[in-house]
Amino acid sequence: MDSRLLSLIIVFAPLSLFSFGGGQAVVADFQYQSVEVHGWLTNEQFTDLYAVSRAGPGPGTLIVALIGWEVYGFIGALIACLAIYIPSCAIVYGATSWWHKNENSPWRVAIEKGLGPIAVGLVFAGIAAVLRAAGIIEPGNIDYLGLATFLFTGYLLYVTTITPYYLIGGVAIFYGSLQFF
Amino acid sequence: MLVLFLHIGLTSFGGSTMAWMHREIVERRKLLDDQGFMTGLTIAQVLPGANPVNLALYLGMHARGRIGAAVAVFGIIFPAFCVVLFMGYLYRTFSDFETTHVVLGGVAAAGVGATLAMGVKLARSVMVKIIPTTIAIFTFVVIGILRWPLVPVVSVLVPLSILQAYLIHKRQSKNG
Repeated sequence: MDSRLLSLIIVFAPLSLFSFGGGQAVVADFQYQSVEVHGWLTNEQFTDLYAVSRAGPGPGTLIVALIGWEVYGFIGALIACLAIYIPSCAIVYGATSWWHKNENSPWRVAIEKGLGPIAVGLVFAGIAAVLRAAGIIEPGNIDYLGLATFLFTGYLLYVTTITPYYLIGGVAIFYGSLQFF
Repeated sequence: MLVLFLHIGLTSFGGSTMAWMHREIVERRKLLDDQGFMTGLTIAQVLPGANPVNLALYLGMHARGRIGAAVAVFGIIFPAFCVVLFMGYLYRTFSDFETTHVVLGGVAAAGVGATLAMGVKLARSVMVKIIPTTIAIFTFVVIGILRWPLVPVVSVLVPLSILQAYLIHKRQSKNG
């Protein structure tokens, strides 16, 4: 197998096991591995692909298909996808059987309670990574328009139940129209 | 089964996927009751992996065993996979234009804003006691700010966090 395909597996398969709450928890490491460690993408490409994956359907982890494509075309996308889903699916498969046999186990409660705070910490780490990659908050430089968009969207989705897609569409149109002034 | 999950995979964008599954599987086809669905939802959320994918696996396994699980997972991922690759193709076609990057930069800011809203909601349910709050903040600082690699850090933190939750749970059930 080509070494680039192999490195896709080596990067994504372990992250699969830590992708609590979907892709958002491991976004920080997606960015770190594909931009800084392997140099598959630039920061700008990463931000663009992140945006594409957020605008599309399906789980956030599908960004790996786009990263895989940049590395090795369609095969790369497929391999990256298998690497990110097979390990976590194997765990869920095993756990589903175990869960049913151990309805009242104290370990079950402990797993639920123990994983929660780590998932929260990872989600915020992912936010920090994207803000940095998108150049919204960098050392010595803040993009105020991006920061305002980030905070405004976050606030609106927190207090209302509107579908994020209208908001994302609205933001896309707003940024596009800014280009003409 | 395949048709059902392909249908769900195609029609559900973003956070609505699991609500759709509930409608189709519990309310319309009655393959599972509410209690069983809730258990699946918990498993899907606490274990690694994308929540809708995990839930599909759980539901498929319930209805038709191993093959059901495989079919459900394929059905939920495949349509989204195709759409995202097509959007990636559009992106590469238009990536020479400056406007593309500006618009996507805005979309990325909005997308990470959506994550912020989710993160704050999760944090409110987790960060009520001192130990979980410390674990959450420690995880964030070490990976988000200091940028230590995720896999080794979390490999150490997960067992520790589960162990402390187990000890606290045991002490509480002894006292109560």
